[in-house]
Formats: sequence, structure tokens, C-alpha cells
Amino acid sequence: MTHTLHRLGSLETLEKDFVVMAMTAKGFNEEGSIPKLREYFEIILKHKPVNYGEVMAGSRSIASVSQIMDSFNISSVPHGVFTTPKQVEDVLKDLKKADLGLSIVVSGVLSEVEKCCRNAGLRPHTLEHSLGIWGKKEKLPQTKILEITNMCGHSMISPRLAEREIGEVSSKKKKPEEAVEVLTRCCRCSIFNPERAVVLVKEMVGEKSSAE
Amino acid sequence: MIIDESKCVGCEACIDYCPVGAISIQGEWAAIDRDACVECGVCYREIDCPGEAFVWEELSWPRVIRRVFSDPTLIKKDTKVTGRGTEEMKTNDVTGRFKAGQVGLGIELGRPSVGASFRDVEKMSSVLAKAGVKLEEKNPLTKLINQNTGEIDRDILDERVLSAILEFVAPLDGLRGILKTILSAADELETVFSLDLIYLNEEATKSKAMEILAEVGISPSLAGKTNVGLGRPLAEEGAP
Repeated sequence: MTHTLHRLGSLETLEKDFVVMAMTAKGFNEEGSIPKLREYFEIILKHKPVNYGEVMAGSRSIASVSQIMDSFNISSVPHGVFTTPKQVEDVLKDLKKADLGLSIVVSGVLSEVEKCCRNAGLRPHTLEHSLGIWGKKEKLPQTKILEITNMCGHSMISPRLAEREIGEVSSKKKKPEEAVEVLTRCCRCSIFNPERAVVLVKEMVGEKSSAE
Repeated sequence: MIIDESKCVGCEACIDYCPVGAISIQGEWAAIDRDACVECGVCYREIDCPGEAFVWEELSWPRVIRRVFSDPTLIKKDTKVTGRGTEEMKTNDVTGRFKAGQVGLGIELGRPSVGASFRDVEKMSSVLAKAGVKLEEKNPLTKLINQNTGEIDRDILDERVLSAILEFVAPLDGLRGILKTILSAADELETVFSLDLIYLNEEATKSKAMEILAEVGISPSLAGKTNVGLGRPLAEEGAP
């Protein structure tokens, strides 16, 4: 389960892409965890994530906050997606104060997350790096498409759908935000960053326009 | 997944949604290529199909394995975890699964967006078995693999999934050799894999791991995952 790892792209866009998640350790602390998961989620919402949700109910694109919170069970891994280190720092400060005992993981540029932890009075416990993509790379979709679709680590966003939606933007049938919303809905875990996707779509359309 | 032809209106709205390109128009109606379909459920859940033509069929062995590894909404009965792997580093502050002087490795075959057959998985698991790797018992994939040989149940070799993760813990001293083993198998695969490395945030382990990656010619990503250490009880404080 490395769904929030392996995000691709330039440092410039990755620096505006953070996912916060909470999880219980099965066999250790899952009993009585549902109210804690709800309290965690309220903290996430307080800091205005650009996407949020949980795999069973889906993301904010398809489910209300109450539907998402009502779906929580001991296996739930609720997520919030943020675009600034300050938001992450404030979330971590609130989570430290709440002392829920849930394991909290932040995905993002590691040096930035370390600063957020330090400012929140936390010391990172365990780290994970992506070591890249290997094997038959000629089978991969084009890199720019992958930067968008791979924000859903379960590959629920079809590269063909991304191409279609970008084509709609390119031909002025849709705004970038409308096209990105179609993609956001497909990511059930809600870890897709729609703001970053809009930036990437605009870049792609701009590149196409200038090439023409 | 099947499409009920009597309900399909042939609007073609569904075709681009399939992550593996398994939906096409055959004649007047949409149809699913069953060899390519990985039973992930995107078409059923996300498409606003005007005829509500997508139908979950009851899957039997071995086809059911496609859904187990491709549909992230399923909770695995034995581990109580959704997704394709385990809790891995996400709960390491509580479980203590990865310790100082150790690294965790994950090889996610098929990711991103290519998909994999279990023949691909077996190529990698066989190489790992020869290298003496013991795979993580809690990972559902491990249950399908003979840990001594890396062989996978013959019934499922041709089944396809969006991705499947081989996970294990290795001593830091063995990281160089393991990485070389993994990369040497890469050219034999008909798919891609995403590789990851986990370690405790402890200076000696971190600096040694980075030194080995540089020697092997791997640049670790700038973005990654950080377990911030808020889980309780902390493994160091008495959790088993």
C-alpha cells in the first residue's frame, strides 16, 4: 500500500503537493479508533484541504463530509491533500495537541515535511523514498500524462481519460478545472491533487498551443 | 465485469475510463475484453452510464484474484487493510516492523498504469527467492508464492492485475546485493515496476542507505513519505 508514493514531476509542482493520512495499526490500537479517526478528519477539514475523503465513500467530488465520516471503520485511511507547507505544519500542530494515538503519515517533498515536523515539535519516525520506475518503460503513457494520473497511486485514473479531458480543454470545450474534476472523481482514496493537476493541464495545453 | 448488451445504448462514454483500455465498441454496443480487464471496478463506480449497463459478475477462482489486487475498495479479511499491500511504514511508529540497521523494500509490479500478469510477478519473486529474501507474510501476494522457490500457483499465472506488491525487510548490509538482484531482473519483465525503500529515521541507517543507493546508481526521489511518529503506543515503549 504505497498509494501516495511515487508522485512524479518537477520540484516546483511537487513542492505544492502534500497528502496527510491517518491509520490504525491492526492488532495494536484499532479498538475504539473510529471517534479518533473522525476527530482527525475534523482537523484535516479545518485547514482547508483541496481534496479529502476515504476510499469507501470516495472523495469530496462524490461524497459529503457526513457521508465520508459515517463510512469510517477500523480499516479506514482518511486523507487530506494540501498545497502549502504552512497548512501541513498547522495540521501537525493540531494533531500533536489532540494526541489521538493514530499513526500519521505525510507524503510530499521530504525536506519540506521535515521542516513542518520540526516546526510542529515532531521528529519524523520512519521515511520512505521512491526509487523510480524500472522495467519495460516503453509501455508507459507519456510522462506529462503520468504526472497527472499517477497522483492516484491505485491507477484508477485512465491515461486515455486524461488525454481526452486535456483535448477538451485544448479545444476550449472545457475549462481546466472542469476537466480535472472528471479525473478527481476517479481517485477513490482522494489523494489526487486537483490544484496541481490544473497547473499541469494548463502547462500541457500551453505547450500544445505554442507548438501549433 | 460485464456489460449488459440489452442496457447499453452505445454512447461510447465509458471507453476512455478503463485504466487498462479493456472497453471498446463492438458493432453497436460496448464490450469488455475479458483478458485485459483487471476487475478494478472503475467502470462500475465512476461512469455515469445512461443505461446502467455495467454489472459486477460473481467471480470465481482464479479470476477473482484480479479484483483482489486491482479494486482498492476491498478490505482484505485477514489483514483488515484496503489497497494492495500492507500497513508497511505507515504504522511503523507502533508496530516497529522496520528497525535500525534494516530497510524495507517494495516492488510494485505493473505500476504505474501498465498492469502486470502473475508471470511477471513470478519472474521477480523467483529471483528474490534465489537471493534468500523472505517476503512479508501479511502481504496478500505472499500467500500465493512458494517462499522457497518464488513459484506462484499455476492457476493464476495468466491472470492480470493493475499492480501487485512484493514487500520484504532486509538487513541494511544486504541492500547493495538485493538492489542489484532486483534491477538485473527488470529487463526480463513484460511490465514496469515502481521501487521503494523504507528506513527508520536514524542517522547511521539513513546515511548508509543513501551511500549504497549512490553506489548502485539510484537517485532516491525528493518526495516521499514521512511517518511523523504520533502513533501510540510507540513500538519502543512496549508494543510487541
